[in-house]
Amino acid sequence: PPPPPPFLLQSLDFWRLLYALLKQIHGGKWTESDAIDNQIRFVKSALWYHGYGRPELYRLPSDGSAGSRELLLAFSWLLHRLSLLEQLLARNRVKTGDETSVCTCEDDLPNSQTGTTERAPEYGLEDRVDVRYLQWLNGRLRFQWRSLHAQHQEQCKLLHKIHLFTSGSHMDQTLGHFSVTETDLVRQPENYKQVKTREEELQKEGFSATARKIEESVELKLLNLTHLCAPKKPQLHGSCRLVYRSKHPASKMGFGRSVSKEPVSAVSATEVIRELQMREASLERELKQLQEECRQRLDEIAEGLDGVICISP
Amino acid sequence: PHAACGLRPAVRAGRRWGVTGRPVGRRVADGAGPCRVAAALAAALGEGAERRRELEQRTARSRALLRCWGSEEDEQSQPEAGSSSGHENRPSPKELEELELLNRALEKALKVRKSILKSPLEAQGATGEKSAGEGPTPKNAEEQQVPVPVEDVPENTKVRAVSKKPASLKKPSPYQLRAPYRTDPDVKKLQRKAPARCVSQGSRTAGKSSSKGVACKQGRSHRTVICASDREVPAPAEPQKIPGLSRSALNEQQSFSVGDSAGGKNSVAAGKRLSDGGRKNCGFLGESSKKEDPTTEGALGRSTSPRTVTLQEKGCQLKLPLPYRKAYSRNSSPAEIEKELKVLQDVPSLLSQYVEAEPADHPTLEREYESLLTLEGLQTTVSQCLHKLQLLRTAMESQMRLRPDCAGDIGSCSPACVPPRGQMCDSAGILAVPLLCYSSFQELRDLFALKLQVSMLHQEIALQKVMMAELLPVLESRLYPEASAAQLYRAIYTQLCEGGKRFPVLVRDELVD
Repeated sequence: PPPPPPFLLQSLDFWRLLYALLKQIHGGKWTESDAIDNQIRFVKSALWYHGYGRPELYRLPSDGSAGSRELLLAFSWLLHRLSLLEQLLARNRVKTGDETSVCTCEDDLPNSQTGTTERAPEYGLEDRVDVRYLQWLNGRLRFQWRSLHAQHQEQCKLLHKIHLFTSGSHMDQTLGHFSVTETDLVRQPENYKQVKTREEELQKEGFSATARKIEESVELKLLNLTHLCAPKKPQLHGSCRLVYRSKHPASKMGFGRSVSKEPVSAVSATEVIRELQMREASLERELKQLQEECRQRLDEIAEGLDGVICISP
Repeated sequence: PHAACGLRPAVRAGRRWGVTGRPVGRRVADGAGPCRVAAALAAALGEGAERRRELEQRTARSRALLRCWGSEEDEQSQPEAGSSSGHENRPSPKELEELELLNRALEKALKVRKSILKSPLEAQGATGEKSAGEGPTPKNAEEQQVPVPVEDVPENTKVRAVSKKPASLKKPSPYQLRAPYRTDPDVKKLQRKAPARCVSQGSRTAGKSSSKGVACKQGRSHRTVICASDREVPAPAEPQKIPGLSRSALNEQQSFSVGDSAGGKNSVAAGKRLSDGGRKNCGFLGESSKKEDPTTEGALGRSTSPRTVTLQEKGCQLKLPLPYRKAYSRNSSPAEIEKELKVLQDVPSLLSQYVEAEPADHPTLEREYESLLTLEGLQTTVSQCLHKLQLLRTAMESQMRLRPDCAGDIGSCSPACVPPRGQMCDSAGILAVPLLCYSSFQELRDLFALKLQVSMLHQEIALQKVMMAELLPVLESRLYPEASAAQLYRAIYTQLCEGGKRFPVLVRDELVD
């Protein structure tokens, strides 16, 4: 039999590479043991999701035996279109700030909320459930949320104290104070070897030159962006660094110059709070509608209950 | 293996509390029935526990930083406050006891009452979900005074039907504009009934009566407007389903369609504006949001200086030329479609708010006209949003057609917090972590409280949907032991209508003649 064509292995590897990279972007946990055709299907789905339009790629066989050229094309498209490398960098770096997310994307994860594919471990195939058990579970859940709230408030207190106490210490005046991680770094520097390594790596590869170039291009783009996005509220996703500033920031978008080298966008908690309030109101409304619908249906059911009157709370 | 819970023997002995998870006609598959609710709740509890653990770690670290540095060895993580049983999914024996006591008390409440006893309830302002008139025919005058007078019930049902089940939206809404647009004796009739209904509704939602009472009076017809538009896709096409608008607006409606327009200056202008949004760049996202706010604002702003001409122009802008729509569909990737959908997420709620803020009665003609223009403007927004939804749907369909096998994995594809291209389309934007600046301790606390609240509401809504799907059929199918009907009803009512916090009182309606 003729030896396998030289590109056979390459295609397989390429598929696997794309799979590994894309899975990171899409927040999923990936395992090496995933079959190749699953991996290929995932890569195709991801490319489709982001709008890759070349049908030749989608026609590639699921055993990974061919297509290195198409994969190369797709890969370069991803690099450009998704800023793939930058995203990976952003995800894998050491987080030095006090990070919190402003969006609620994590709440919309498909199978995390209702556990539709799960079965209650105690019940298995049996379909009898005591309604009081459901009530009890629900009560525990509500209690859990309350505890979580209390914990968060406690954490806020600690965080704010750290911010206050370290005000004025940060060399980056835009920030002004240390984050928890940075403070910890000062206290126990030996725990943060990874930061040091990273730092060395960056310096080794001449990152500062790249950084400068990026700065300049960003400044140019900022001009157009400010204009375009002026009336629109910033829709940030992902993590932001919590910074305490006792005075209200001058401009909403905070695109102004700062002492630090890196121009970063800033958003005020006031805006985020406003957006969250809107979101909250919208969700509450939706919940009430659902409850109202239930009330109606239960009204109808109550008509069928002989000899019982229901007086609502 | 299921004997762990102390409740189970009671269930078997008494056979009173069981919930049969076997609704009529449904295949009993793995996890079908109320088990799904239990599983969902258990999963939610698991997630919550995970969150708490993570948070506890972070809090511990912060606490350590605030203590004296260097004295770390004796540091112990504090036990979780109030964690009763960790991962246990069974109530403790003590909890079961307390629960039994409570249930016995509730059973005592479910006792025979004579008709006379209903007057104290009336005096307290308590209102019944179902009046005596709905069940057995009322026996005396006092019974007829039970809140929710019988003649209101059909009205109520009708209104609810109108607002909730658009399929039955065939009958015209009772709300009509008064002169000079239309006169209708029904208006007066409605207003007479409304207060009665509002009172009962007001006391029903104790504490929130004002908003609900007000809303019921003024919101009914408006809800019709919104819902008619909401549910009917494509965008409103039938004028008779949208009452309360001026004739000019109606004419506009008739000429509006999702199909090809006759062209003209306005549609071209609109096409151009929207087509800028079609390009894959920052402008797209900017455009979408720009539309919803300024539109609403503009509508409200215009209400003070009425210029009907401008609104009518705006209406015409919704007619997009066909080639543009085709290009739009082709150019949107699923990721963008999803983002656009997210932008639209909060729109219905906000619109409802604006709509409900419009009063049903107007002291002056100016006010009435202002209100009319506001509503028209809002309706324009609704049309635009619906139109965009239609476009998104078309785009999505064409994407699905392209690669039907890819759509299956869409769930796992939805990226968790991919930075939006619209705003940070350059690489540096992704690398530079944006700052979130808070200006006071209170603000920080509010921020976290709100984030949590929003997350919790997401979960509540998801659970509510699961529960509705699983529990209501149980009651509707009547496949439960008759003796436990009342208790079951109460439990499910509490869970579905009151978030598990309050429960209705069940009273036996056995009257002694």
